[in-house]
Amino acid sequence: MTCAAAHSLLEPYLDGELDAAQQAQVAEHLATCGACAGMHAQLLELRAGIRQHAPYYRAPTGLQDRVRAAVRHAEGNSAGPWRWIAIAAALLLSVSAAWTVAMFRSRAAGDRIAQDVLSSHVRSLMGAHLLDVPSSDRHTVKPWFNGKLDFSPDVRDFAAQGFPLIGGRIDYVGGRPVAALVYQRRQHIIDVFTWPSAAAGGEPEGTYNGYHVLHWDFAGMAWWAVSDLNTGELRQFETLYSTPSGFSGRE
Amino acid sequence: MPAAPKLSIFEKAMLPHLDAAYNLARWLTRNEDDAQDVVQEAYLRALRFFDGFRGGDGKAWLLAVVRNTALTWLRRERPLVRMSFDEEIHSPGDAATVETKLVAGAKFAQLRDCMELLPTEFREVVVLREMEEMPYRDIAEAASLPIGTVMSRLSRARQRLQDCLAARMKETSK
Repeated sequence: MTCAAAHSLLEPYLDGELDAAQQAQVAEHLATCGACAGMHAQLLELRAGIRQHAPYYRAPTGLQDRVRAAVRHAEGNSAGPWRWIAIAAALLLSVSAAWTVAMFRSRAAGDRIAQDVLSSHVRSLMGAHLLDVPSSDRHTVKPWFNGKLDFSPDVRDFAAQGFPLIGGRIDYVGGRPVAALVYQRRQHIIDVFTWPSAAAGGEPEGTYNGYHVLHWDFAGMAWWAVSDLNTGELRQFETLYSTPSGFSGRE
Repeated sequence: MPAAPKLSIFEKAMLPHLDAAYNLARWLTRNEDDAQDVVQEAYLRALRFFDGFRGGDGKAWLLAVVRNTALTWLRRERPLVRMSFDEEIHSPGDAATVETKLVAGAKFAQLRDCMELLPTEFREVVVLREMEEMPYRDIAEAASLPIGTVMSRLSRARQRLQDCLAARMKETSK
């Protein structure tokens, strides 16, 4: 084996990633070549140094309880979390969100998508996860979804009409990953969820505890918008969205 | 999937990796409080996407979620400190470094600093390889990278660490 060949295999050798035959060839070369053996020794020394001097941070006491409580709460099993009085304050917000969702459930049982959309919106506002790609540039937001979804959402910006795009994220609605596009109207956040779908039906409009949900089908896609914005303006937003992009005036 | 069994399967599969999740989050955010928040958020995200988990020991899968959560967190919370720290390694007047008195052979005492100064994309592969001792295949999954990129990043990260250590040694022996 030449030094050049051994050199390129040195790190995979060190990491145990070579097959037995290659591993043996490199070992053989190291036994006879001082220069390569020196490099190998340096790498070993670095590894030992990292393991000895760079701290492995173990989870602090209490984190496991905190994570478990959050997970159980999110999953709707509320038997556990109440024991942790220390996190009661943090839970207040979640409780009101859960109540909103629970109220909504009782009013519109069966409309699972509207329920998912509303839960997702409320959860995102709780600070859990509003944006994966914070950008007002639709040419940044649209490509971000490539490879993450099996479709490419129609991302449009309506800044000129007073509904600026602020970003997007992947969310999970109706048992599938969907694109969530996030817009802002003054202090109100509008989440728009979209995925390919034949006309799905469902109530086109609903109001649940101050949140308005609108639903329309356009260009082979299901669209759901949810916000605490008033219905009038939310409808105006829907009109913008269900107009072919060539007519939106900002292409 | 009914709630209770899903939750118990999730906890059994994911909670054993809490240390690994925290260690990665801590190295990526370089901050204890941020790391705890990132870990909690990552577990909630993992729960939501758990239907997409295909079994196995789950470590690489969970760490992929932790990594994405941490990177999103860094973009959102720290947009202004996302600079590359490379230049600082050689910058003069780094009082803490110059004044640190090293005993002979304590070259590696600087390792923690040098690790923290690595750009995120290099730091994460070092943490996954040298601390978690994960094979390239799992690192590729956790970092969403092709294996070839894992190898080249790891190699460049090691080179940078050696350069950083050498530079530190030179400064302290002045």
